[in-house]
Parts: sequence; C-alpha cells; structure tokens
Amino acid sequence: MRKVVYTCPYVPAEWIAAHGLKPCRIVPFSTGQGSEIIRTEGLCPYVRDFVNNLSKEKDCITVFTTVCDQMRRGFDIIAGSLKMPAFLMNVPSTWQTVTSQRLYIDELQRLGNFLVQMGGKTPSNNTLSEVMLEYDAASQSILAARDKLSAIQYAGMLEQFNRDGLNSKCRIGFSPLCKKSIPLAIIGGPLLKQDFEILEITEQFGGRIVLNATENGERGLCTPFNRRKLMKNPLMELADAYFNGIHDASRRPNSELYKWIKKMLTEREVRGIIFHRNIWCDIWHAELQRLKDWAGLPVLDIESTGDDGSSMQRNKNRIRAFLEILH
Amino acid sequence: MICAGIDAGSRTIKVVLMDAASRRILAKDITDQGLDQGQLASALLDKALHKSGLKKQDVASITATGYGRYAVDIADTTITEITCHGVGVHHLVPNAMTVVDIGGQDSKLLRLDEEGKVRDFVMNDRCAAGTGRFLEIVAKRLEVELESLGKMAAKSKKPSPISSMCVVFAETEIVGLLASGASRDDIAAGVQASIASRIAGMAGRSVAPPIVFTGGVALVPEMKNALQSKLGHDVTISPDPQMTGALGAAILAARKLEKESK
Amino acid sequence: MKYLPKQISLEEWDMQYDELHKAGLQEPAYGGRLSRHVEDRDYRLLKLRYDNSAAALRLWNFLLTEEDRLQKARDDGKKLVGAMKDLGTVPVMAYSFDNMTAFYPDGAWWIPCVMELNAGLLEIADSLGIDESFCPVRAMLGAFATGAHFPIPDFLVCSVGATCDDFSAIAQRLNGMGHPIFWWEIPHRRHPERNEENILLPGGFTAPKCQLDFVKSELERVKAALSDIAGMEINNEKLSSGIKKANQVRQYLSELRYLVFTAELCPLPALEMLIAEMLALHFCSDRDETIEVLKYLLEEVKTRIKAGHGFFRADAAKIFWVNPVADLQVMNLLEDCGGKICGTEYLFAHALDMIPENIPPLDALAQMALADPMAGSTIDRAQRICNDIVKYGSEAVLISRIPGASHCAIEGEIISQVVRDNFDIPVLEIEVPPVTDAMRPTIQTRLEALVETVKARPRNINNK
Repeated sequence: MRKVVYTCPYVPAEWIAAHGLKPCRIVPFSTGQGSEIIRTEGLCPYVRDFVNNLSKEKDCITVFTTVCDQMRRGFDIIAGSLKMPAFLMNVPSTWQTVTSQRLYIDELQRLGNFLVQMGGKTPSNNTLSEVMLEYDAASQSILAARDKLSAIQYAGMLEQFNRDGLNSKCRIGFSPLCKKSIPLAIIGGPLLKQDFEILEITEQFGGRIVLNATENGERGLCTPFNRRKLMKNPLMELADAYFNGIHDASRRPNSELYKWIKKMLTEREVRGIIFHRNIWCDIWHAELQRLKDWAGLPVLDIESTGDDGSSMQRNKNRIRAFLEILH
Repeated sequence: MICAGIDAGSRTIKVVLMDAASRRILAKDITDQGLDQGQLASALLDKALHKSGLKKQDVASITATGYGRYAVDIADTTITEITCHGVGVHHLVPNAMTVVDIGGQDSKLLRLDEEGKVRDFVMNDRCAAGTGRFLEIVAKRLEVELESLGKMAAKSKKPSPISSMCVVFAETEIVGLLASGASRDDIAAGVQASIASRIAGMAGRSVAPPIVFTGGVALVPEMKNALQSKLGHDVTISPDPQMTGALGAAILAARKLEKESK
Repeated sequence: MKYLPKQISLEEWDMQYDELHKAGLQEPAYGGRLSRHVEDRDYRLLKLRYDNSAAALRLWNFLLTEEDRLQKARDDGKKLVGAMKDLGTVPVMAYSFDNMTAFYPDGAWWIPCVMELNAGLLEIADSLGIDESFCPVRAMLGAFATGAHFPIPDFLVCSVGATCDDFSAIAQRLNGMGHPIFWWEIPHRRHPERNEENILLPGGFTAPKCQLDFVKSELERVKAALSDIAGMEINNEKLSSGIKKANQVRQYLSELRYLVFTAELCPLPALEMLIAEMLALHFCSDRDETIEVLKYLLEEVKTRIKAGHGFFRADAAKIFWVNPVADLQVMNLLEDCGGKICGTEYLFAHALDMIPENIPPLDALAQMALADPMAGSTIDRAQRICNDIVKYGSEAVLISRIPGASHCAIEGEIISQVVRDNFDIPVLEIEVPPVTDAMRPTIQTRLEALVETVKARPRNINNK
C-alpha cells in the first residue's frame, strides 16, 4: 500500500485510508547537519526538517497544506526540485463563512482525485463511514487513556496513531503519577520529535502536562464524529470535524482557539502554561504576549531551534526554574 | 612598471608588489588590521618596497580591495574583494571554476568562467556564523589558540552538531555542549562542519569543480576536509590563500596600466 | 528644460525651490519646500538624494502629505478604510464609493526608516511581543498604538490565506488589541487541473475558474461590508468607473516603467521610481491627484529622453530589483555603486497590470487579486521575473531580503535558481534592515561587486 506522508492535522487520515492508501502523519526529527535540502536563515526548523525528512523517503506521496506560509513554499521545493509526487491542499485561514467551509470540502475532493491518480480508489460512502468509525474508536480509546499515562507516553501514543493509523500498536501502559505534581499545559505549534523530551523534563522537575495543546497533542485531533450526520453524509461530517474541530493560531480570527484553550484550562485545573514555539514561526510567536495578557496564569516561553541539544539544555533550565516558582 | 595590490581585510592588511609586464611577484607582506587603516597600509607598502629594493615613486598603480579599501588613500583605484579574489585565484589556478573564500568577516562563493571572470557570486548575510570570526569566537570560548582549533578538530571522533544560523546562538550552543560534557575536539570539529555547511547552503545546487579554497580560514587545518565533505567535491587550497585578494588587486592594477598605455 | 537631470540633496532642493518659485512654479496645495518635512522628524530625508525636477518635487510632496489628506478626509466626513495586506484590489473598490478614502496601514513599515527610528514604533511592537524576528511592517502596530501617523480607520479589512505569515500574525495581534478586522480569504493560486476550466489572469498566470469564483464571492463580502460602512450601495457602473480610474494610474505607471527601464540614459532614479510604483496600491489617499502626479512625471521622463538627458553613465549595470527595501537610501546606494534600476518586482507586480474592463467589475477585481505573485508558487513568481528580465534587458538580479519576513527564507533561493536556470546572469541576495547605516559598507561591497561582475561580461548596453 502506497504511503501518503504529511504533517498537518487538517489532512484527514480517514480520507486517505478510505482511498486505500496508507496515511502517515509524521513528526519530523531534526536533520541537524545531515540532509541539506533547505537550510537558510529565517527558516522554521519544523518546515526545514519536514522537507529534509521527506527527501529521504522513497516512493511516497506527500501532502502539504497552506496553513503555514513557509510550508506552502516548502511544497515548491518538494514538487519543483525533488520531483516528488506532491499535493498542496488549500486550508482556508478564515472559517466563519460558508464559502470557506465549502472551499475546504472542495479541496478534500481535489485531494481525493489526486489520491486516485496515485493509485487510490474513490471510496463509497459506506467505505468512508466505516473507516471514519474505526478511526474514531481508536482515537477515543487513546483520549480515554490520558489520565493513566505520562505526558510523553500519551504524546507518543498519539504520534504512533497519527503515523500508523489503525495499524499502530497502541498498548496502554500505566505510569505511576505523583499526586503532588503541578498540572501544566503545553500550548503551541508542532513539536519536533526531539522536543517530546520537554514533556519528560517537566515531569522530572515536578510538573505534569495535563493538557497537550500543541499540534502533536489533543489540539491536533479532530472532534469525535457525529454518528447521525456521518451516516447521512460522511464527507461533510469529516470536513466539519476537521475544519471546525481543530483550532489553530493561524485561523483568522483565532478567537475559537482561545475559547477552546480557556475551556480546557478550566476543566483540567491547569496552574501554569508552557508556551512552545519553533524559532521563526511567526504565527505562534505572535500569540505569546497575547496569551500572557489573557491567560491569568504564569506562562513560560520556550523556543526550539531544531538543533540536537543546546536549545533543550536552555529549555530544561527554564522549565526547572518555572516549576520552582510554581511549587 | 611596478604595480601594487593592497587588501585591507577585516583582520589583516596584505600587500603584493608586482612587475606589471611579467606579472612576477616582487614582494608581499601582511600585517594586523588596526584603527588607522590608511597609515597601516602605507607602512606595509613601504616595508614591501624596502624588502624588494624599490621606492614609492617606482609604483605606477595601486589598487585597493577589501573592507577597508576606501581608507587606503594611497590607492588610485578600488575594486571589491569579490573581483580581486576571482582574478587572484585564476592567476594561481587557471582552471578553477569555483572559489570559496572565507575571510575574517565575510564568506563568499564565486563562480568563474573559463577566463577567470566572476560569473556570479553569493555571500554570507550579516551574521558571522560562516566566517573566520566564528572560529575566533569559538577558540576564545574553548580557551585555545585559533591555530590549535584545526588540530583539535582532526582528533574528533564524533563532531558535535552546531546548527544555529546565528553566531550568537551558536555560541550559546557551544556553552550548552560544554555543559553537557562534549569534548573540545568534537566541538571544534562541529564548528568547522557548521561553517562548511553554511558554505554548502550558499552554494545551492550548482557547484562546478575544480574548487579552490582561499582566504585566511583556508590556513586552518581540517577546514578543507570539512568543506570537501559538505560540497561533495575535492577542494584545493589556493597557494598562499591569504594573499589572493591582494594578488588579484595587483593584477588588476597591472591591467589598468596596460589599458592606459594603449 | 532649465535644469539638467541631477540628483541633489535636500539643501540643494531648497535653493532650487526658491529659484523655481521665483520663475513661477505652480504647485498644488500640498506643495512647498521638501525640507519642511524634516520638521516632522523625517530625518532620513536629509540623507537622501533626489531627482531635481519639479515633477519629482510634486511626487515627494504628495507622498509626504498623506497624513494631512487622511485627516482632511475624516474632517470632511469621509469614511476611512484601512486596506491591509491586499495590494491593489480593495482600494479600487473603496475609491468607487464617493464618501470613502482607503489607505494602506502596512505602509507604516517605512516610518522607522524615514524617521530614523525616532518614532519608537518598533519599540512599541517589541512591547507587544512582536520583536525583530518579524518583518519591519510590525511598525504598523506602533502606529495604531500611538495614533500619531494616520487616523485610526473606520474599517479595517485584511486579506489572509495565501499571504505572509508575518503580516497575518501582526494583523491578528492588532485584532487582539481591540481593532476589529474584516478578514477575507485569498487562496493559494494553483494551476488548473485536468477537466477544470482555465482562466488566464492579467500578468500571465493561470488559475482554475473555481478559484476565481471563490475570490469573487469573497470580494462580494468585502463589497457588502464597504457598503455598510459607506451607508450606500454601489452598482457595477460605479465599480467600473473606479476600475477605469485605477487603470489610468496603471497605464501611466506601465509607460513610465517601460521608458525608465529601457532608456539608454536613465531618465528617473530608482528612488523616485519606487515611490511612483507604490502609488498604484492605494493612490496615496487621493486617486485623482495620483493621476496628475504620474502624468507630470511621465511628461518629464519623455522630455528627458527626447532631449537625450538622463542620470548616470550609459554603461551603468542594469539591475532587476526584487522586493521593496525598508531603507530608501539603499536605492541611492545602488546608483552610487554604478548600477541602475532595470525592472522591479516589489511584491505587487499585479497591481501594475491593467484590470480587465470587458468583464463584470467584480470578476475583473477577483482576477487581479488572484494574480498576486505572492499568492501563488514562488516558481511562478520567479517565472514572471524572468519574463520581465527579457522585456527590459536586465543584466543582473538583486533580491532584497526583508529581515524577518517569513516568505524570504525560502523564496530567495528558489527565485535565484529559476533565474539561473533561464539566464546566464548574476543573482545576488542582500538583506536590508529599516535603517542600514551600520551595514552600509557590507551592502555597498555587495552592490559594487555585482556591478563589477556585470561589467566584466560582454554587454549590450543600449538594449538594442
């Protein structure tokens, strides 16, 4: 089965799987000084490493989205220089109009045509419904396990699910939880693979990530499907669950993101926020001060440069200090 | 007739005296850069003249290049170091197609045509991360002499990854690496790889061999190997790499004389 | 022609102004000595060199009095529209309303340069969490916070989607500061697929009809919102008449560009050309006067060409300039280094193309919006640059990177590669911050080297 590699949460895995292809949403790992497809100043390490990771993939199909300006241009490199079969999906920034929602659905259909050209098969409504239900059940079981897992186990499980879909071996392990640990949220854009360590470090220093609102956490999952609507028109329901269910800083306006965060912070009794951003990511960087002004909670800013060690070293120190303050 | 090329770089000033007709180098010299660049360049020229038994009035044309070229008031022409390095390297290695010049403050990659003219060039941005200055900062941070850095790098088994595009961040990375117990040899090798990587990034997809490496950093041991590994081609160090800019300037001064005499 | 073309300082302009005045120079109400703008702390003006024609004087005075015009428009009861990010579409609509004046708050990016950082706008942006890792357009936040550089608009409209992340993020920050914004979507322009109806856009790009329909529907929303603000509906006739006027501006600019870029002796310096091109975006808050200013400038250029007068040496290196500079002085510097402008792509090439007049006005405007070179792939943008290189006979390409701008990190490399694949000409990328004083030697060396590289090649100087 041909693999379709992507990283943006607005690309529905169910849609790819229903076409008979293997969806594979990856979390890029740092390429450091290895592959050097793009390596210029001002480039977000997540984009750089995604493109560099793709350049190492063999016989895969890639899907980019327009959610991020640099990712959009990264597509030019993949499709232009590397001649890899690639699709650029328009994900509207506006969300409040029927036309924007319609555009997203049209883009899903266009993606479907592309997948068919790449060897996929147009799914019937029944096939799509079945796949959606299977994915829904799998993601709900992971979400339900959150309380029993350490933050890094939970993130790892989500990553595995996103990467391998229904084939993922999602075994739920149990982690002894420290009752005295401080409930924290991590909010931000996507984490690189090596940045998952932040979750572990936080626990080492007496914190516990109870809300992973990065793209790799719960924020990057669509809402559960409405069974009734799904049976009536699965594609519409799929589009609704993704387009209206995933709240991102890139939305204009991004007020829904803040509403969602507020609700989650309250529900999970969060006492502090770790704000994570990748260097040169303007979309998330611009939210930092606003979040600080708005949250009513202590906010720690940590930045990843995408290297193998030094930013982690720096961040480790900051997280420790942050938790010392909160204790 | 005698002509002179003076390269007032960011770290050193170099002078080359040349017989315009035969293109024979009569003398060359180098001194550290300082506040009064004009005075230093003039004194260096005097020294070179003295060594070769010549007088100031014997010099028919002087071309200045490098960052401080406008401060060299004894010069009658100024030309950028890009053109001068191209000309200088072509004189020494006539089949060179690509020149990598890493100086104290700038790094550049020149593409030459068969006649040694610069077809196109790329330069580092304002950050010093891909330049000799970076090596100096690192040497200071590792508490070693600049000259030892290359020897240390040669001993490295696993170069430390330094990925920052900014020298300030890179320095922070080095502090982090030291704190995490990385060896100084590995850090030195990592820094060299980082500079080479930056040059490779500048080069893009079109690097035509033969590649000649020039500028003061070419003298640092192991830098050539780091560059070869990143560029994927053999790299030759230019003879007397620090002097190629001044040599090119002297040749251009000679060409000017020829043009004027026609 | 009393004065031969020459670049002069502000001080020299004052002396010449007295002479011109005595000789009966007729000026519009906003006319006067250029040096008076320094009293507004526009200190950069002291360091620039200007075209010495009366037409250029009018252009500068027009540019530097925009704030007064906006204030007057407000005093006259007109509605002020801040059109953000979109370059050259919404202002065409807004000016079709009799009681509306549109301007471009993003233009605040030049304030740190013109005022040599004295306005403190970047510091305000810093304090709002928008630091120097963002594009200098962040100065706009400071301008809104102080209210000192333009009146706060009655309505803010901003295009998003296939636009720059920097600007989108900054506009969102502005929104978070309590300024309501009407967002409209511009999708990433793509090539039509099999079985899709193909539309050829002004400027030569193509797009599928469904994208055009989408943009049109977005512009319908914008039109309705503008009608609400204006308190009146606007019909197609009014819109078409607005398009005609915009086309007058574009026609003059098109002629000006061709003449300036292809003349043997450069008839208008790069700095004045840059400002003239910028007028296409929002007409510097007075559409009719923009037409007059450009008409006058074009007459001057034609007169100079006819008389064989111009600036710089005929063998000046012909440089195609990509992206606008935040520091105006760099345009002077190019010429000091022996270059001259021969082709530009300041991120809004589409705003210089003629708007179709033979189709319904909203369809025409949707085509223009979708023709934005920044909305499509960088490869397409580079191809358009290549077409213009052929048209104008440019000998080198200079890509001016905007510090912090998200698109610049990748596009420079792509544009360079496409140009190199098409032509054997040098391409150079430089970074230009809002005030370049400390970096002047660095930039100068690069520009001089580019000129030397061009001049070392076999050349066809007179474009023939």
